[in-house]
Amino acid sequence: MSTIISNLPQLSPKMKMADAINQYHSLLTVLPRLGIPLGFGEKSIEQLCSEHHVSLPLFTLIGRIYCQEDYYPTANELQQCPMTDILQYLVSSHKDYLENKLPHIEQHLHTQLASMDKKYITLISNFYAEFRKEMEKHFRYEEEVIFPYLRQILSEQEATESATYQKNTFHQQHDDIEDTLNDLSNLLLKYIPAEISPVERVDMLLDVYALSNDIARHAMMENRILVPYIQLLESKRHD
Amino acid sequence: MTKIAIAEPSILLRTGLEQLLHELPDAEIIFSTDNLSSLYARINALHPDILIVNPLLYDYAKRATIRAEFDNLPNLRLIGLVTSYVESQHQRQFAGVIELNDDFQRIKSTLNQVTNSLQSDGDEPDTDPLSDREKEVLVCLSKGLKNNEIADTLNISVHTVITHRKNIVRKTGIKSVAALTVYAILNNLIEEKDII
Repeated sequence: MSTIISNLPQLSPKMKMADAINQYHSLLTVLPRLGIPLGFGEKSIEQLCSEHHVSLPLFTLIGRIYCQEDYYPTANELQQCPMTDILQYLVSSHKDYLENKLPHIEQHLHTQLASMDKKYITLISNFYAEFRKEMEKHFRYEEEVIFPYLRQILSEQEATESATYQKNTFHQQHDDIEDTLNDLSNLLLKYIPAEISPVERVDMLLDVYALSNDIARHAMMENRILVPYIQLLESKRHD
Repeated sequence: MTKIAIAEPSILLRTGLEQLLHELPDAEIIFSTDNLSSLYARINALHPDILIVNPLLYDYAKRATIRAEFDNLPNLRLIGLVTSYVESQHQRQFAGVIELNDDFQRIKSTLNQVTNSLQSDGDEPDTDPLSDREKEVLVCLSKGLKNNEIADTLNISVHTVITHRKNIVRKTGIKSVAALTVYAILNNLIEEKDII
């Protein structure tokens, strides 16, 4: 979705955190991953970042990705933000997905299944379990193969041949996760019979949409920030 | 980038509008003009996405059918630039209307709306349920058959199987075989025991 211009104010370090969240609700999921607790009163983004030892350039990058559909950082913006901070944030997002978001949706799903015909139960829970496994596998691959490789480039050691990453890996795997969430929301929205826990179903759908949006942002972090950053570092190393 | 053309007789309004639109990062003015003959000459060559046009450029008799003037450009969206009273039925032919006393915020939101309607175009929603043939293909998929096996089973070409699969995905919005299998069971197309 591209819009001519956003009517909303741009995120800036001096902005009150509360204003930023009220304006851009989806940013809310980012705070716990960065260790910024709620109840921050009138404090600005800048103040909170320094209080909780969050890098301001990192928060700004994440904020732009969440609030600006067409945001691509400049090389300068990238270099202001240490790669290790970005990696740390991505790892804590993975953890948040696996430990909080997915189990929460699964709980909703079990409530749905409880009121369904027995014959559907195994099938739908298998479908979800399979999806969860795929996601775990994908995150593990990033954390065990890709991120260590990046840390290696950072420490300016020669990377081993076997660790060469594939830029396209990011794209393809995230598309798959988003597709599966999309399949899930279509099943819930269109094909599970009307009488099955309708109120809970709406809640569940909202959660699936929110997760789907968050994973899309997560993918943007990797595609628009991490990948260009790696290219930048690699080109420097070859100089 | 949204390509915009402007047709407005007043130089004050034209330059004012150009100035405002220059501030929009995703909008590009490809031409602006004060008369119809130059408008027609350029619009067919330059194919803007949006034409912002003052209906007063047209004689009163023609003012109700401005949209029809551009029937040869089906993807073009018209925005009326309304500077004096224009009857509401004349306004209806426009995808959006900009009025003299609109502030910048309002002009931006009008442009946004019209731009968004551009993108959803050409994608007619398909409200037909799955055809019998598509259901047969879906059942085969759920049973774990590959495209060539489905082709053999149903006595159709692999190419046709692929077309059916595309249609199934388009209609249901579901891509993975796992989720399509759930769909098939929920719709009683197959029994659970049929799945491997």
